[in-house]
Amino acid sequence: MSDTATTGQTAAAARPAGVRPGRRGRPTDWRAVGAFAVLTAPTVLGLGLFKYVAIGWSFLLSFSEARGTVDLGSWVGFDNYTFLLGDEAFRSSMTGVILFTIFIVPVTFGISLGLAVLLHGMRRGRAFFRTGFLIPAAVSYVVAALIWKMSLFNGLPSGVANTIGGLFGWDVQSWIASTDPPLYWIVIITVRLWLQVGLYMILFLAGLQAIPVHLYEAAALDGASRWARFRHITLPMLRNTSVAILMLILIAAFQAFDEFYNVFMTTTGNSTAPVRPPLVFLYDTALKGQDYGVGSAGAFLLTLLIVLVTLLQGRLVGFGRKD
Amino acid sequence: MSTSLTSRRAFLGGSLLFVGGIALAACGKDDAVKAGAKVTLEQWYHAYGEAGTQQAVIRYAKEYTKANPDVAIKVNWIAGDYSAKLHSTLLTPQAPDLFEIGDFQYVDVKNGLLAPLDDIIKGQEAEYSKASLDSATADGKLYGLKMMDDAMVLYYRKSVLEKAGIAVPQTFADLAAAAKRLTSREQKGLFVGSDGIGNAAYLLLWSGGGDLLDPEGRKVVFNSPEGVAAISGLKQLHDDKSLLLDFTTDWYDPGAFVQGAAAMQWCGLWAMPAIKKALGDDFGVIAWPKFGDTGQAVSRIGGWFAAVNAKSKHAEEAKKFIEWLWIKQADLQKDWCVSYGFHVPSRKSVAARTTEFGSGPAKDAADVLANTGRAYPNLWNTTMDSAFAQAVLKIAKSGGDARSLLDEAAAKAQAELDKQLA
Amino acid sequence: MRKTTRRTPATVLTYLVVGVAAVLFLAPFYFMLRAALMTGTQVTDPDWHWLPDPFTLRGFTDLFDDPSVPMAGALGNSFVIAIVTAPVSTLLGSMSGYALARISVPGRGVVMSFIVVTLMIPTSATFVPTFVLVSAMGGVDTLWGVIVPGLFNAFSVLLFRNFYLKFPQEIEEAGRLDGLGHLGVYWRLALPNSGALLASLGTLSFIESWNAFLWPLVIGQDPESWTAQIALSTFLTSQSINLPALFAGAVVTILPLVVVFLFAQRHIVQGIAATGMKD
Repeated sequence: MSDTATTGQTAAAARPAGVRPGRRGRPTDWRAVGAFAVLTAPTVLGLGLFKYVAIGWSFLLSFSEARGTVDLGSWVGFDNYTFLLGDEAFRSSMTGVILFTIFIVPVTFGISLGLAVLLHGMRRGRAFFRTGFLIPAAVSYVVAALIWKMSLFNGLPSGVANTIGGLFGWDVQSWIASTDPPLYWIVIITVRLWLQVGLYMILFLAGLQAIPVHLYEAAALDGASRWARFRHITLPMLRNTSVAILMLILIAAFQAFDEFYNVFMTTTGNSTAPVRPPLVFLYDTALKGQDYGVGSAGAFLLTLLIVLVTLLQGRLVGFGRKD
Repeated sequence: MSTSLTSRRAFLGGSLLFVGGIALAACGKDDAVKAGAKVTLEQWYHAYGEAGTQQAVIRYAKEYTKANPDVAIKVNWIAGDYSAKLHSTLLTPQAPDLFEIGDFQYVDVKNGLLAPLDDIIKGQEAEYSKASLDSATADGKLYGLKMMDDAMVLYYRKSVLEKAGIAVPQTFADLAAAAKRLTSREQKGLFVGSDGIGNAAYLLLWSGGGDLLDPEGRKVVFNSPEGVAAISGLKQLHDDKSLLLDFTTDWYDPGAFVQGAAAMQWCGLWAMPAIKKALGDDFGVIAWPKFGDTGQAVSRIGGWFAAVNAKSKHAEEAKKFIEWLWIKQADLQKDWCVSYGFHVPSRKSVAARTTEFGSGPAKDAADVLANTGRAYPNLWNTTMDSAFAQAVLKIAKSGGDARSLLDEAAAKAQAELDKQLA
Repeated sequence: MRKTTRRTPATVLTYLVVGVAAVLFLAPFYFMLRAALMTGTQVTDPDWHWLPDPFTLRGFTDLFDDPSVPMAGALGNSFVIAIVTAPVSTLLGSMSGYALARISVPGRGVVMSFIVVTLMIPTSATFVPTFVLVSAMGGVDTLWGVIVPGLFNAFSVLLFRNFYLKFPQEIEEAGRLDGLGHLGVYWRLALPNSGALLASLGTLSFIESWNAFLWPLVIGQDPESWTAQIALSTFLTSQSINLPALFAGAVVTILPLVVVFLFAQRHIVQGIAATGMKD
């Protein structure tokens, strides 16, 4: 690869003006290969090292007994996988994240799209509102978890949620610690919505702006209702955007870590968290429990789940049909 | 479009300069560490909360270098998840030479992470409590020097109990009744942790006569009948709604108690100076009361151990340093224990010289610790803890069946224990 | 649609819904500022106070006076990390995106899949080995150890690829006639015309690296290499929490980003509109 890279570079740097052999039709265009290599090499090498080497190592670890070590050698076959699949805690972690995903994906999608459509239809103040919705996207999960845990949903009468509840005469609630009813889902879901909706809304807005206005005008002349215009023009025209956004929300949901970790963390870690999504479970297993074999196996089961769901979603909504 | 050629150049050039600058800065930093003393030991502490602690350990390190110019010590103050970060770094070439450990775990010894310290503790055994030595002993060797003892005890507001006509609780039934009586909209009876669990499950287990492992450390026994009965006590506290939940700080911070959000709180001795400052004499400390008639009052003994990385190239120098600091320097040990936070010196001769524990609630707490202090066995590890905690969570908050949940958790913990001993 | 926008009930409803949503979205900032400017006891006072009374900057002075939390240095580190990561990772994404879109070579599909597949790998699967790798290269406690693994971003490659797929063929051909090779066309023509997307992805990357938590937490152990997020989380986990200072920390941590956002959001919208995220 380095050979071709050098050729490409020289070709570009020492390009004599006007002298350019015709390239089309040649079996292999080495200059193109060189340029391609120069341009993609950093990314390919970087991802190769930090993703592929790392994941290859992790893959081998998942077949090893690796407690308190990341050295390979003590092979145990599929033991780590069978252990996890038989472990109630891991299974409930997987079902937990699936439930979370089933809920958060349509809600995030719906709110982002809804706000984008409403904003798009606005004449005045659109920029103002857009900024308002977008700003939370700049906030980190650490800061958001801090505000949610320490201010909005703390268990004190002075907590914001409890103060508002007090206006309606409700009892002081413990929003995070009580599991019956599981109020903590409100905390977890609202953090994520607050942080994510703005960005997806912007993506939808970009999609909406690209829809030719004359389509709506024609439909309006035909007397189509608002809903009909949304259903028959907006939605189909947003198909690619929607598919991309769905996939982003989905993958992000399966990889949820930060808010669960920060909201439920106590001195003893996450062991008393009412729900531990897979990444938190794996963090506990690998980094706290020092079992890198089981931790790696869990990471692959999660990866498998993500890949399956992504493919399934692709089937359902026809992702990649264009390519 | 908006970006012109020149500004793009500036943008790229600027970023390249930054990258170069960082590369240089990184090299410069390495050189600075290498200069000076012949040996530089890297030492890790978890981030203590009390003001002045970090400056204190840096000062101790400098004093050692003054006396031993060949050895410099670089103190790293580790925030966040200390145990996870320590263990992941111990896998790498950047591992610290010496570090502290909170809950001592046998698995660290088994994995060959720790250097035995028997040669430096020789002749000093009588200075330490049996619990401290037992915790850090594995396969007949000692792997950690106790730096200080932390007592965890039950604080109560004298005036609040008196006003309600409630006597200091002697049994768990008293405690639960008192917590219920003292609960109002503004104040809850008891605070054991923001999650409503904290240490309470362990305390209940021990106070009911149960234990985590059998005395030989071969069998998980927390699902004994006494254990099941006592741990179910936590459900009663939750059902009564007498526990403070979701407070802004956790049980190790005195905030809830000081602000009157809870009339009683499970907390550490380290918080006593802050509590005294806020409440004066209006508080007392007791052990966690016994569960039922057959039980016994308990408190938790905690604290930190100094340990040496077995794979360190400078393990001998590191051992000399901790011997100097945690065995020989009585004044520094005293300074460490009482000048910033509030801990009982782990060495009996130093504790005897520390007048702060001579009277009042501090003395009560030291006595409670000496009479009732319990520590986790070192075979108890994170995985077992996690199985136990998940069972407790379901028993206390979701009304799960205590017997079957604890049996299930015990089976899982037993499997982990067997793997550890294998 | 726009032509029908008048003061119809639907318009009023639109403004009402959007207005309420905006209040909900902005309220957390108010609660944060309110707590940052109060005294510690007032934050937990059961009686509600809409505004701090007394109004105090103690939280901010406490924050910067606390010697165990080097907030100023941490903000500086975060700034350096973000200001390096943003342009470099964006440029790398644009380079690969261009090659994948416009340079037809054998094996291009393989390279494309190689890059895209990494999108599906959860961070935890590679987290520990990456740490061991970087540490073996001496990256612990260094800024480059924080920065380098985050420079390679498959998502930005994809967006750039979509963008360059629509790059006008005529411009490329004009460049060819002027004697430019592939690299020349990219560097002189394609890149200068990617301003909006560069700006938008650069801003997003700036935000992402500024907000990153787990990686800097593990790789930056020495307080000198802490980022603002880590300094803040130290505050959260410390034994006695000074609530106004904690919220003040939150304020100073997000302030730079809010400023960046306010200036760059136009570019974000334009840039995203310029990618293939539309039909």
